[in-house]
Amino acid sequence: MNLNELNLQQARQGLKDKKFSAKDLVTACFAQIKKHDQDINAFVSTFEKEALKAAESVDISLPLGGIPIAIKDNFLTKNQLTTASSKLLDNYLPQYDATTIKKIKAAGAIIIGKTNLDAWAHGSSTETSDFGTTKNPWNKNHLPGGSSGGSAAAIAAHEAIIATGSETAGSIRQPSSWCGVVGFKPSYGRVSRYGVIAMKSSTDSPGPIAKTVDDAADLLEIMSGHDPYDATSIDEAPWKKPAPLSNLKGLKLGLPLCYFPPQIQPEVKEAILKAVDIFKKLGAEIIELSDVLDPKYSIAVYTILQRSEVSSNLARFDGIRYGHDRSFFGEEAKRRIMLGTYSLSSGYYDAYYTKAQKVRTLICQDFDKQFQKVDAFIGPVSPTTALKVGASEGQAMFGEIQDMLVEPSSIAGLPGISIPCAFDKNHLPIGLQIIAPQKREDIVYQIAKIFEDHTDYHLQKPTL
Amino acid sequence: MSKVISDQDFTHIVQLSNLEIKPEENFIKDQLSQTAEYIEVLNELDTQNVTPTFQVNHKKNVFRSDEVGESLSQDSALSQAPQSHQGYFKTKATIKK
Repeated sequence: MNLNELNLQQARQGLKDKKFSAKDLVTACFAQIKKHDQDINAFVSTFEKEALKAAESVDISLPLGGIPIAIKDNFLTKNQLTTASSKLLDNYLPQYDATTIKKIKAAGAIIIGKTNLDAWAHGSSTETSDFGTTKNPWNKNHLPGGSSGGSAAAIAAHEAIIATGSETAGSIRQPSSWCGVVGFKPSYGRVSRYGVIAMKSSTDSPGPIAKTVDDAADLLEIMSGHDPYDATSIDEAPWKKPAPLSNLKGLKLGLPLCYFPPQIQPEVKEAILKAVDIFKKLGAEIIELSDVLDPKYSIAVYTILQRSEVSSNLARFDGIRYGHDRSFFGEEAKRRIMLGTYSLSSGYYDAYYTKAQKVRTLICQDFDKQFQKVDAFIGPVSPTTALKVGASEGQAMFGEIQDMLVEPSSIAGLPGISIPCAFDKNHLPIGLQIIAPQKREDIVYQIAKIFEDHTDYHLQKPTL
Repeated sequence: MSKVISDQDFTHIVQLSNLEIKPEENFIKDQLSQTAEYIEVLNELDTQNVTPTFQVNHKKNVFRSDEVGESLSQDSALSQAPQSHQGYFKTKATIKK
């Protein structure tokens, strides 16, 4: 096995046992990048020299000491190009690190590069990136999903050991599902948004993308914690993963029937039902939920709120303090800014923006009601496996439809995870999601971990 | 609620957004109308007595003490600006002489 194929636990153990050095690990990741990233295009920029230099003096006793990490290119990294995959920022060298980057650096991780995303994280395909589409490592004619498609592809292709992503509604879970890796979306406010280029500030949630559930949980531990620079940050000590469970006796898992919409790919439905059998064998009680609010309302709420917040957040890009002027915005950003401006404009504000915020209340109340009956939801992440390159073109709401099964929990700020649970007939990965009440990442971790321990989908590797 | 965005609305939105739309990008107008039509689905739900949720972890009035902390130096703050003048960002004039 090449060193770049190790997961975080194995890499840490190997470093500790002096089987190899941090430099060996970094070198192995760059060898893989050089061999395959021309085709996959997971990275917008790489920092080989700096990474190798950092590897020489890194303290491997730190929690992530010497571990090569890929960073989504919407996290500010001091003096290192940060573009949000938009040409508007193709010359932007941030003057400071995002809070999460400070924590990741303090934990000893080595940043090897910045990964591709849909420009400004607007999308679920990476096709709106100004720097080219990322390809799915399992089949390069297919999309990796998005917006954190670069990070998910980098992990699936073993170009890095761990990675960061950010999710506003699906941007960690959906690409993780399509690329067959683990994506852990924390509760809103668990991880600081400071220094992550703002998209939809009321749901933006940075989080880890990794090869295993434990790897994702370990990175979440490092990324989480209260930040005075983010007023919406949860005022608690950093999250700690709980002890794993040996069975799921006494646990009630809800299967929301409306998360199986008519357009679902039959193999995705079959895969989730097989996962249900595994959970039953592990002792969980499965409860079918027939009265969950239809995700079609979440699509509409998300569309209004996302566009509205985008129109405000992207107003700061005026080319005066950094970056280029507004003529550098691509078509997708323009479309979103304009719809948001429309929904916030005089005469339409109540009909669109306020209405959507009221329906958000109904969505939150619906989750509260369901969590009286069950401890967590399980279901598919995406109605389909990875679609072909080109699928998003000309579709103004491609992302919203793709992300319909992850939007409700994002709107309510809940934690969730995507873990590999099967492959379709074309050997494209299928993702299972687990959603828990706010701040209950512990339940998400425990259910995901026991499922992973009893399956081997996470051990399969794509042929590049 | 108007379902279709008129030419007049579109011009107004473009102006408010501080964007320029090229003639070949005019199809965006129809796409905005389609999206506006999709979100009408929310009218199926009665929200008359529902209070809006703007923020899901219900934080209110987050203050900090009024103490000067670490911040960027002037040079660093200006380092990414395309144009600066005597330690200031240079912008287009907003008031006519």
